[in-house]
Amino acid sequence: MTRRFGMRPRVMRALTGVAWREYLRTPEAVFWTYGFPLVMALVLGFAFGEGRQEPAHVGVVATAPAGTSFAEKLREHGGGRLHVEVVEESRARRALTLGRVDLVVRGDAEHPAFELDPARPGSELARLLTEDALASVRGEPRPVRATIEAVDEPGDRYIDFLVAGLIGLNLLGAGIYGIGYNLVLMREKHLLRRLAVTPLGRGEFLLSYVASRIVLAMIPPLVIVAFAWAVFGVPVRGSFLALLGLFLLGSFTFCGIGLLVGSRTQSTETVSGLMNVVMLPMWLLGGVFFGNERFPELLQPIVRTVPMTWLTDAIRGVMLGSLETGGIAIAAAVLGAIGLLCFCLAFKLFRWT
Amino acid sequence: MNERAGIAGRGGGVALRCVGLVKRYEDVVAVAGLDLEVRTGECFGLLGPNGAGKTTTIEICEGLLAPTDGTVRVLDMDWTHDATQLRSRIGVTLQETRLFAKQTVRELLALFVALYDDARSADELLAIVALEEKAGARYQHLSGGQKQRLAVAAALAGRPDLLFLDEPTTGLDPQSRRSLWDVIRRFRDDDGGTVVLTTHYMDEAEALCDRVGIVDHGKLIALGSPRELVSSLGAAHVVEVDADGIDAAFDTAALEALPGVVEHACTTERLTLTVRQPHVAVPAVLRAVEAKSLRLRGLSTRHLALEDVFVHLTGRHLRDGEAE
Repeated sequence: MTRRFGMRPRVMRALTGVAWREYLRTPEAVFWTYGFPLVMALVLGFAFGEGRQEPAHVGVVATAPAGTSFAEKLREHGGGRLHVEVVEESRARRALTLGRVDLVVRGDAEHPAFELDPARPGSELARLLTEDALASVRGEPRPVRATIEAVDEPGDRYIDFLVAGLIGLNLLGAGIYGIGYNLVLMREKHLLRRLAVTPLGRGEFLLSYVASRIVLAMIPPLVIVAFAWAVFGVPVRGSFLALLGLFLLGSFTFCGIGLLVGSRTQSTETVSGLMNVVMLPMWLLGGVFFGNERFPELLQPIVRTVPMTWLTDAIRGVMLGSLETGGIAIAAAVLGAIGLLCFCLAFKLFRWT
Repeated sequence: MNERAGIAGRGGGVALRCVGLVKRYEDVVAVAGLDLEVRTGECFGLLGPNGAGKTTTIEICEGLLAPTDGTVRVLDMDWTHDATQLRSRIGVTLQETRLFAKQTVRELLALFVALYDDARSADELLAIVALEEKAGARYQHLSGGQKQRLAVAAALAGRPDLLFLDEPTTGLDPQSRRSLWDVIRRFRDDDGGTVVLTTHYMDEAEALCDRVGIVDHGKLIALGSPRELVSSLGAAHVVEVDADGIDAAFDTAALEALPGVVEHACTTERLTLTVRQPHVAVPAVLRAVEAKSLRLRGLSTRHLALEDVFVHLTGRHLRDGEAE
């Protein structure tokens, strides 16, 4: 069936208006796009927060009556870095398992015995600090330690790393849900069939629908950047325009993937499964919450195929200066190519019914 | 029909023609060789039970489905060559369509108005279906009848020559149905438009349609005006007599001896007769009932309706085995 490919501005405006109103009048959709990443940034930003060194939690087993005074001494000599509490023998193991304490100390300053879980990152630190404090209790000189430079400058913290990931997730959600899921929903409601029997062209429909969503999707990343800057002082070291360009490109790529996912899927149940298949590798391997360069060699080809990797790399490249201009350009080119490929395929596969 | 001659005569043409239409899916044949001709300016009804192939037929005519075999000419064009032009000249309501939930009535109409190069205004459409008061209401808050009126308004947005309505009043209350019928009649009478609709309501077809095609198992089994179809049964009235044990009192010979009886059916409690002249048949029946000393519990007569035509042709009632 032939359809015209000409674009009528009047039609594109009308469809864009519908898409925007439909989105803005769905408060829960607005919350998930704006509220969710901001809450996540707050929680994770403070959890892995800057500056403040978490004290090591040590549980001293109360072998009465020495336990209490031993704990007092340890606290005194811990220099503020040891959080000491007295635990009952029967509760000691449980406190360790639940992570309430990093280390359990038995005995006294002369004959201490430690209990710890070596797989837990905090326990080694707790051991070192406790041994220092015990030496001090015994009156021994403190062992020589190298001077330490704390890496907590803006740009080097976890929150600085995380912002790019949150932006990537947001753009992914906008593309997959905003375009893919919604398209299937419209098909399921027979709304697409209804539009198919009007003079609306496939190109007119798809392009205006996607364009309206891409424009909408640009706003939350800007809010995330502004929020992260205001609350955590996360910098934008590179060009702001380049950053905008990356948001646009990321949005384009993920919208293309969303469009492909929804191009002819019949039911929302099916598309939900499909969406998970697409999104899971992006969440896990795309460098969202943690760096993906230390993933096993075997996984690297997949890591490099996932568009999220290229997007988060490039955004970090611009914001934190972690990538040369050439590297950013390559990432941008890869993203654009993936997006374009998805768009062409989706346009070809698309069905109204 | 005579009262339609003026408009039908104006174009004098054929708005829609299907020849040998077949639609076969993997394991079912939805349409099994259907021929159909709809005249310009008439309201044509495709009547039949659910699953008869009405919707498949109308969706082929709308260009939504491709037929397995056969040809369709719509407004002297066909879907393989003139799809874009055709889409600007037809108006459609589909079954079970839900529009954008968060848009207002006016916004939705504005969208459909924008899709056509020659369109009515949203205000005009609101007036046609009398939805002015709901112009600012969101789609999700409309009643079933209001949604259906909106659907018809959207179908009229592009000043169509031909309107396809798939079960336009299914599930609506009587008042909403009547107000929709008025909208459809005005489109036919005032705009000279052609209407093709599907329905499984007999009264709707009788009230609205100039001609009716009865569809069963994907085939057209009868065609004509509602009056022609009813009179084709050779009788015009149904007489129903209720009395206990009535089937034992009358055997076939006794029933056929009654004057003017064309068809008869009997259960233990009810005798149903199709008759030409009730004023002749009813006294005869009453005399016979009295002679057998049966106690009469009820007697009614009614005009034959399209429903009876369907029963006569298929041996089933239209709503039998309905899935919904």
